[in-house]
Amino acid sequence: MTWNRRTFLGTGAAVVAAPHVLAEGQGKSRVVVIGGGAGGATAARYIAKDSEGGIDVTLVEPTRTYFSCFFSNLYLGGFKTIDDIGHTYGALAAAHGINVVHDWAVEVDRAGKIVTLAGGGVLEYDKLILSPGIDFVDGAVGGWDISAQNRMPHAYKAGSQTELLKAQIAAMPEGGTYAMVAPPNPYRCPPGPYERISMVAHVLKASNPTAKIIVADPKPKFSKMALFEEGWANHYPGMIDWIGEEFGGGNVSVDPDAMTLTIDGDETAVDVCNVIPAMKAGRIAEVAGVTDGNWAPVNAADMSSKADPDVHVLGDASQQGDMPKSAFSANSQAKACANAVRGALTGSKVFPPRYSNTCWSLIAAGDGVKVGATYEATEEKIARVDGFISQPGESTELRQATYEESEGWYAGIIADMFG
Amino acid sequence: MCRAGFALTALAAVLAGGSVTGNEAPSLDPAILTIEGDAEWGEYLAGECLTCHRADGLAEGIPRITGWEPDDFVTAMHAYKQNWRSHPIMQMVAGRLSDEEIAALAAYFKDLE
Repeated sequence: MTWNRRTFLGTGAAVVAAPHVLAEGQGKSRVVVIGGGAGGATAARYIAKDSEGGIDVTLVEPTRTYFSCFFSNLYLGGFKTIDDIGHTYGALAAAHGINVVHDWAVEVDRAGKIVTLAGGGVLEYDKLILSPGIDFVDGAVGGWDISAQNRMPHAYKAGSQTELLKAQIAAMPEGGTYAMVAPPNPYRCPPGPYERISMVAHVLKASNPTAKIIVADPKPKFSKMALFEEGWANHYPGMIDWIGEEFGGGNVSVDPDAMTLTIDGDETAVDVCNVIPAMKAGRIAEVAGVTDGNWAPVNAADMSSKADPDVHVLGDASQQGDMPKSAFSANSQAKACANAVRGALTGSKVFPPRYSNTCWSLIAAGDGVKVGATYEATEEKIARVDGFISQPGESTELRQATYEESEGWYAGIIADMFG
Repeated sequence: MCRAGFALTALAAVLAGGSVTGNEAPSLDPAILTIEGDAEWGEYLAGECLTCHRADGLAEGIPRITGWEPDDFVTAMHAYKQNWRSHPIMQMVAGRLSDEEIAALAAYFKDLE
């Protein structure tokens, strides 16, 4: 259905959720959020900010510094420093009173509503929000497992992996080969692998112009394909060899000790091998028993789990319908979820969800492109309503403006996540 | 819908902020500017804006939207909604906002400094 103001005002009594307000003296309602990325940090901040201290919010996040996966390709390309993409949780604690716990959540007892931490701590909750991002599917790429990630980094969880990949690119021999094993759908950040290829090409064009780039891809096409292909032809002619499904790009294996990549039976020696395996919901979603297959199905109206109305799953880990797995999507979903959770716990007004997404990508210096869409909640899923995409052949001025806009977005979403 | 034009002062504010398309000049029913916005509703709706625009009013690469006069805010949003002011994201976002929703956003952002 399409929501409008009349819809929700007209049925106001129905949409204001029955409050789970604890009697005076029993203490405040408790929300535990697991995962401090674009979904979790945003949800924690909005619930704490909008409830004005009325809800106890605990954010469980193992890392003290969050390195955003979004814009990490720009670090690889030399457009950002590692510090530019690193952020801490101090303001969430200081300005919003969020209890920030740097630990791993290792167990969820949904019947008892208890989360257990690796350090032995126990957190009770009235509502649990899981936003754990992604993990990798075991055995997705022959010859690769997590123990090989230093030889063949994924760099798809930003931080030390991204720094490692950048160092490996810098150390490539003259005329060497950078290979990427691209992931199958669905995965985090659909244009991400191809923006990464662009940024690697940008670096190598300047420092190692006879180097080659190979992409083995299990997909027949990819996000913003026409835009990337045009950009690669314009900026990096002859440098990038994309091998799609049709040419065996999905039939790959690697040997991390020998540093070889085999595509459809042909073995190639490579100097850097960036293996981005198939993905699944972050492990705690599976531990909590809210996954079905690789992802956690949710209700479109409030991102609540289809397995448990008191558990919500945000961002990459969720299976919600048409939204891409992106930071923008997770941030958008977090606000709808925060509004619903606050309403359920305090009786505050619950508004219909509003979902939207935009993904910017950088192809070369000053050559930015974007794709975006709006979405609505239906009974079945989050469904796409309307969208746009940059067009091939746009002016350099427009592409520059698009890049500058992406920088503004980055500053905006970081402020929206971390306060 | 009345085919009255945009108020001149508001139109000037719109033009100062961005380019326009070659589409037919838009119309804005003066009654739209009299809608009283619900700031609480606007605060929720603002979540969609604040993924990009800064609540603290800082602007770098993306314009400031806090502290606007409501008439200017409403006029600008309707210029996007009618695809007269060019920007694909803003046309998309404004395109699905109702007149009441735009008024609610204007009421909320007016007092955000």
